[in-house]
Amino acid sequence: MSPLRVIGVEYLNARPLWESMRAESMRAESGAPASSGGAASTSGGRISGAPGSIAPIELRLAPPSELARALAEDEADVGLLPVAAAATMGELRLLRNMAIGARGKVRSVAIVAERPIHELDAIALDLSSRTSVVLTRLLLARRKLAPKLFGASPAAAVASIGDRTGALIIGDPALDLEDRYPHRLDLAEDWFEWTQLPFVFAAWFARPDAVSREQEDLFRIAKQKGLARVDQIAAEHAARSGLSEASLRAYLTESIRYDLGDEELAGLQRFWQEGAKAGLLPAATPSFEEPRVASSRPSLDTLLSRAADGERLSGADGVRLLREGSFFELGLAADAVRRRKHPKGVVTYIVDRNVNYTNVCTTSCRFCAFYRPVGHPEGYVLSREVLGQKLKEVVDAGGVQILLQGGLNPDLRIEWYEDLFRWMKKEYGLGLHALSPEEIIHLSRLEGISVRRVLERLNAAGLDSVPGGGAEILVDRVRRKIAKTKCTSSEWLDVMRVAHHMGLRSSATMMYGTIDTPEERVQHLVKIRDLQDETGGFTAFFCWDYQHESGTHLAPGDNGTHLYLRMQAVARLMLDNVDHVGASWVTQGPAVGQVALRFGADDFGSVMFEENVVSSAGTTFRIGAEAIEKRIHDAGFKATRRNVRYDWLTEPA
Amino acid sequence: MLETIRQKVRRGERLTFDDGVALFHEPDLLAVGQLANEVREKLHGDRTYFNRNMRVEVTNVCVASCLFCSFAKLEEHMPGAHTMTLEEAWKALEDRKDDPPTEVHVVNGLHPGLPFSYYEELLAGYKRIDPKVHLKCFTGVEIHFFAQHYKMTYREVLERLRAAGLDSLPGGGAEIFDEDVRKRISHDKATADEYLEVHRVAHGMGMRTNVTMLYGHIETFAHRVDHILRVRALQDETKGFQAFIPLAFHPDGNGMKNLPAPTAVDDLRTLAVSRLLLDNVDHLKAYWVSLTPDVAQIALRFGADDIDGTIVHETIYKAAGTSSPGALRYDDLVRLIREAGRTPIERDTLYNVVREHEKASAPEASMKVKDRVRPGGKRSLEVVS
Repeated sequence: MSPLRVIGVEYLNARPLWESMRAESMRAESGAPASSGGAASTSGGRISGAPGSIAPIELRLAPPSELARALAEDEADVGLLPVAAAATMGELRLLRNMAIGARGKVRSVAIVAERPIHELDAIALDLSSRTSVVLTRLLLARRKLAPKLFGASPAAAVASIGDRTGALIIGDPALDLEDRYPHRLDLAEDWFEWTQLPFVFAAWFARPDAVSREQEDLFRIAKQKGLARVDQIAAEHAARSGLSEASLRAYLTESIRYDLGDEELAGLQRFWQEGAKAGLLPAATPSFEEPRVASSRPSLDTLLSRAADGERLSGADGVRLLREGSFFELGLAADAVRRRKHPKGVVTYIVDRNVNYTNVCTTSCRFCAFYRPVGHPEGYVLSREVLGQKLKEVVDAGGVQILLQGGLNPDLRIEWYEDLFRWMKKEYGLGLHALSPEEIIHLSRLEGISVRRVLERLNAAGLDSVPGGGAEILVDRVRRKIAKTKCTSSEWLDVMRVAHHMGLRSSATMMYGTIDTPEERVQHLVKIRDLQDETGGFTAFFCWDYQHESGTHLAPGDNGTHLYLRMQAVARLMLDNVDHVGASWVTQGPAVGQVALRFGADDFGSVMFEENVVSSAGTTFRIGAEAIEKRIHDAGFKATRRNVRYDWLTEPA
Repeated sequence: MLETIRQKVRRGERLTFDDGVALFHEPDLLAVGQLANEVREKLHGDRTYFNRNMRVEVTNVCVASCLFCSFAKLEEHMPGAHTMTLEEAWKALEDRKDDPPTEVHVVNGLHPGLPFSYYEELLAGYKRIDPKVHLKCFTGVEIHFFAQHYKMTYREVLERLRAAGLDSLPGGGAEIFDEDVRKRISHDKATADEYLEVHRVAHGMGMRTNVTMLYGHIETFAHRVDHILRVRALQDETKGFQAFIPLAFHPDGNGMKNLPAPTAVDDLRTLAVSRLLLDNVDHLKAYWVSLTPDVAQIALRFGADDIDGTIVHETIYKAAGTSSPGALRYDDLVRLIREAGRTPIERDTLYNVVREHEKASAPEASMKVKDRVRPGGKRSLEVVS
């Protein structure tokens, strides 16, 4: 029997729920009593069920942001999920009677400041708890307050507290700083004052059909054992953290409530409702039933009309739409979103040129027909002369930008790029949309400097924005198979995070149709949406299917134009916080690109002079500005040219 | 307006000329498509037809001078003009012994210098090679030309050809029926009335035919609606049309090369409106050679229930600059249809079922790919279902 994969968080307040699983499993495995010391660590353990009948439990601990990912990507069956993450995923089963919540003051989640909250201009948010961030937004909105909110690491959040800047702090820092600042808004207390209901921060959530009733009992037994050890847990944490043992004991026994009774459930339901009303969370209903048979499961029509109205969809909603949504219903809903976001009926396009400065690359992705290994006779690096000619043609044709991307060529150092960028900016003055995350990471490794430093140096040399290429599918199972040597999903996202925080904008892309499942495609969209919640830095999203005509080592996946249109429509519906969706006519062909304008897209991409990567795989579509505008007009829209930030450069006509 | 039309369609009420024009002007393309899809699914469910066919164009010598044509060469001695010997024409079928088509589709230029017996022998020869093969040959325009050139009535021409092996007529040559437009784009071949009369006679003889419409050049939406309604009127009379086939004008290398080709949105809309107006014609064909396979796949949601066949060796659209391949493999057609979430049905020319394929269970995940390690340690991914 394969073990039940359980994932918990290391937080002190979570320990009573999982600690005995770890201790018992260690005892079961070593045949000796578990050591009572030992900090929570990321090492796992196993707990055996009743002899013979129940799969053993395998516990793993991880940071809270990792939990939802592990559950969504089928690396865990049950997780002690923050409730906002659970709503975002959707279709999870709530285990009975166990939660981490508070009825009134919680002490460990608070906004602290030098002034009363209504006098603050800004609040730094510790982004490690999405639930607390959503709660903060709801409580501020209720008070009709709109301070500037910005993300920060826990330490940076505390450090940024100033005269008119407060901070949302969570966990040990919040307990530690309990009396440090004159003003403090305890979020659970404020929630109680508003709703007269407890607030539930986290609970055990299971993937559909993953946990049997018998297994669920093991969690309840673990909780009972954990609660019996609260004094010890408090003592251990006091020793490690330097916080007062009595204060911690009171925290665990009086502030935190581990029950999930009717009142707590009502509190959770209320939070999800308020979050959905504010567009911060997908509509969700907590359920102890298996979600796919639950009576509360909304119909596809309901999902589609919610999405068309701009409500947030959960990951599970997205998967259902992708699997079951009909061609026209998805298209009409995506078209409605497009119309709401862009009511003037204008479709943009950009006149730019894609320049692949080198085809030498060390990654050898199996879907790529463009790259040549180092030392290959067909490898090239474009000379200034050739580049200059290309750039001049762009300027002459009224172009506004260069999209500069290339292979990971170890011979090209960062100074080469800096010189190039300065020269390009000085001589031609074009927008520089350059170097996908993969190339940024490559430079960071090659030079032994941080991603931030690479971006700062390139930005100083003229970089304007970062193209979103190389995202493929941001799920590591897929990336390991199709592009083993490429950066991981979180590395890709981190480059974008850093770039966005520096004020650089970027696009986001997706290449589906290799070995990815509908769940993984939607997970990709959720990851982009999550980062966008944090940074707001993505300007637009483009997707395309894997191009398999020649030269590559992947067999064709599932990639008809019918699917492309459905996929793009689902992306438009999921990515409620990304302004623009572009039709990828370079890969799909201008005809399909045009139809895509009725499936949620409001941008027709580039008038491209050349695009070597796609054309190496057999796709060669080239059309000019006039042909693009005709297609936009025939589809029923006005056309205008744009720059990389989607500003209109011409009067729409 | 759309709502009124929707109600009419759902009540099974016939649409008018004005309804047709309104549908062409309706800004919400998807709403029009969805309505056409309703009609299509009521008629055929998910069933989507294709066949194993073979195109032969035995001559491009042509006395007509249609502005939209990039195929015909006026006279025999001109460069590029070519007429197959009977042996060459037959060989095309003989070469397919291992993968025999169920249909041979012959369309030609109007060649002034061949004896009528050439065509009779052509047909008889195909039947000798494969007595079961269906011969769908010669457009209404060719039949009209034969009648004039060889001094026979339409019926006489059709009877002699049928005796030689002809089974049905393809739908080419309809262009646009409106007399003014037709005069401007193809003044020296069968008129609309003559074209329709050929089909009337053929239907009267119990022969089934198809009918086309060439759109996207100088005609207006009203001309298209008029064209479709003339088809509908004849069909009321004869019930002989099997399929209606809108054909997109392609501008390369012909007398209208300054015009842009119709775009995909126009293609899809034209199919959808055709489906809605033609309540008495069973099948609507998305001819993939004209549309490209990519757009043809989408067209299966805009009213079309047929995607034509494997074709092999199409030269007419090729000459006009289509980006479509000259042929699709049988499996490609099956996949194209399945990816659109439809059930592929191999048919013969008369829409009898040859083979019914399974619908993909989940359209977005119809292909499963497996990671394999090849000898020598090289890894690759292969389709396993």
